[in-house]
Amino acid sequence: MNSRLLKELPDLVNNAVISQEVAANIETYYQSQQSNSPNRLFVVFGVLGSLLVGLGVILILAHNWDDFSRSTKTLFAFSPLLIGQISVAFSILKKKSKTWKEASGTFLFFTVGSSIALVSQIYNIPGDLSAYVLTWILLCAPLIYLLKSNMLAILHLVFVTFYAYEIGYGNYYSDETPWMYLVLIAIALPHYIQLLKHKTNDNITSVFNWLYPLSFTIVLGAFVKDLSELGFLMYILLFSIFYTIGKIPFFDSQKLRKNGYLIFGSLGIVILMLTMSFDGFWSVEQLLFFAQESYLSLVLFIVNVLILGFAFYKHWIKSFNLFQYVFILFALLYLGGLNLPVVGTIIVNVLILALGITTIKIGADKFHFGILNYGLFIITALVVCRFFDTNMSFVIRGLLFVGVGLSFFLTNYIMLRKQKSKAKTLKQ
Amino acid sequence: MKSKYIFILFIILAIVQLCIPAQMINHRETILDEGKAFKFKTEPIDPSDPFKGKYIYLNYELESFKVDSMDWKTNQDIYVSIVNDSFGFVKASAIQKEAPENGDFVKAKVDWYNTNMKEVQFTFPFNEFYMEETKAYDAELAHREAQRDSLPDNTYALVYIKNGEAVLDNVFINDIPIADFVEK
Repeated sequence: MNSRLLKELPDLVNNAVISQEVAANIETYYQSQQSNSPNRLFVVFGVLGSLLVGLGVILILAHNWDDFSRSTKTLFAFSPLLIGQISVAFSILKKKSKTWKEASGTFLFFTVGSSIALVSQIYNIPGDLSAYVLTWILLCAPLIYLLKSNMLAILHLVFVTFYAYEIGYGNYYSDETPWMYLVLIAIALPHYIQLLKHKTNDNITSVFNWLYPLSFTIVLGAFVKDLSELGFLMYILLFSIFYTIGKIPFFDSQKLRKNGYLIFGSLGIVILMLTMSFDGFWSVEQLLFFAQESYLSLVLFIVNVLILGFAFYKHWIKSFNLFQYVFILFALLYLGGLNLPVVGTIIVNVLILALGITTIKIGADKFHFGILNYGLFIITALVVCRFFDTNMSFVIRGLLFVGVGLSFFLTNYIMLRKQKSKAKTLKQ
Repeated sequence: MKSKYIFILFIILAIVQLCIPAQMINHRETILDEGKAFKFKTEPIDPSDPFKGKYIYLNYELESFKVDSMDWKTNQDIYVSIVNDSFGFVKASAIQKEAPENGDFVKAKVDWYNTNMKEVQFTFPFNEFYMEETKAYDAELAHREAQRDSLPDNTYALVYIKNGEAVLDNVFINDIPIADFVEK
């Protein structure tokens, strides 16, 4: 980014946009910044290198070297671990750079895993994969804080998600719920909060803004056991939480691509609702109230209300945004509509239409073509879904398509015109 | 935090990281040293694990026991009392939910209760035998070959057992360790 700016400087001076002096100031400013921050590329390659070496060690050891005795194999199991520990100790003691800490920490992470795996292999300890991964995660979790390492936090999150996935979905017969996942996430949260506080706009923080909602989205299904009908409600409630978090000014003021919560929330709500807009969905026979799923739905609902209430209290919500209230309508619909397929289907279809219009309005207000077209896309998706399952006549369906197609042209055209006239007034 | 304290905390963590695998080793070594050896008739098949490499999965011939009660839950821990038959292979003499006070026994997990046969189906926690990656599949083939010859009972696992805990030491085909048998 700044190198592009530096390249532009002579051009700007030549065209008398800025003076020679200003150009020189800009140059010295960026140079001083660069010498202060460690070379980011170097950190990335250091981490990538030790990631590959670590994985390589696991693979080499997984060959199972038959020719060696049990004690030699045991030595093999421990030596990479010791090397990893020594390099981490060295980088702490000598106060080495961030690159050193990230790279040695990543390497140690994988050697811990490989040493446990190799011992299990030498003694033929059968693999309960989730228990193995849990031991591994717990043995490495303190490193996140001791090394202040982002990479270890990422690895933690990835493996924690894998662990919950393995427990929740991995074994068809087991009915375990990965409660431990919540504890493991809580272990990593202080690190994330620190990042949000002190490195709000860094790229690494936005990586976590995506990883956390991704992890929650993957894992929530693992908490759904007997009462799978409530799964949809739970996911709607979760996406609604994401959306409301994404709308908090702290996240909303950042670039859209850094706001994983908002994108996850919005896409999640729309996709789920589209799935529910088919009339076959709403014929559920029974709804139990005293099941794990009902309690979790209740908790998610309360979290939604709390966040929304807090947002009102802080005057963060300035205008009405249907996305933020969808969860209330949905909870009511779920309680009442499950035995009335017609009602459920009609309301969901109307809701999707309303959400599409809301999005178009947000896009128009913000002069954002992306959001505007996303809104149109929601309506298009709704129409396409109806194309398949309604008994509407072909003429009406055809007219609907023509209508939506025309609205794409018209709204974009109107917005373009508005933008041009705005630019004109600015010039004058 | 001062780096001195961080360093001390790290040393503690490093020791824990070393202790976990060391403790795993120690536990198994004690069983191998002090435990009693039993032969379990078995049938190997070859899967693999992403972290630990290739292993052969052992299907034991001893996998069920006739019982009177029906009160058995999937994944429940049970204790299988074992004795040797006249050929020197293991057979079950009883199964119970609590560890028996005398006699040899080994821990297992209930798979399911077969109502028709009135049998409890169970799995032993020593059903994975790790082998060099090139040998695991050959081992399965070798076992199949060995089954075809006229000699009975030719594939078995040698398992050391102490207080119900077991360590799988080796798998034999015709009394030759399976890794050596494959090489021939």
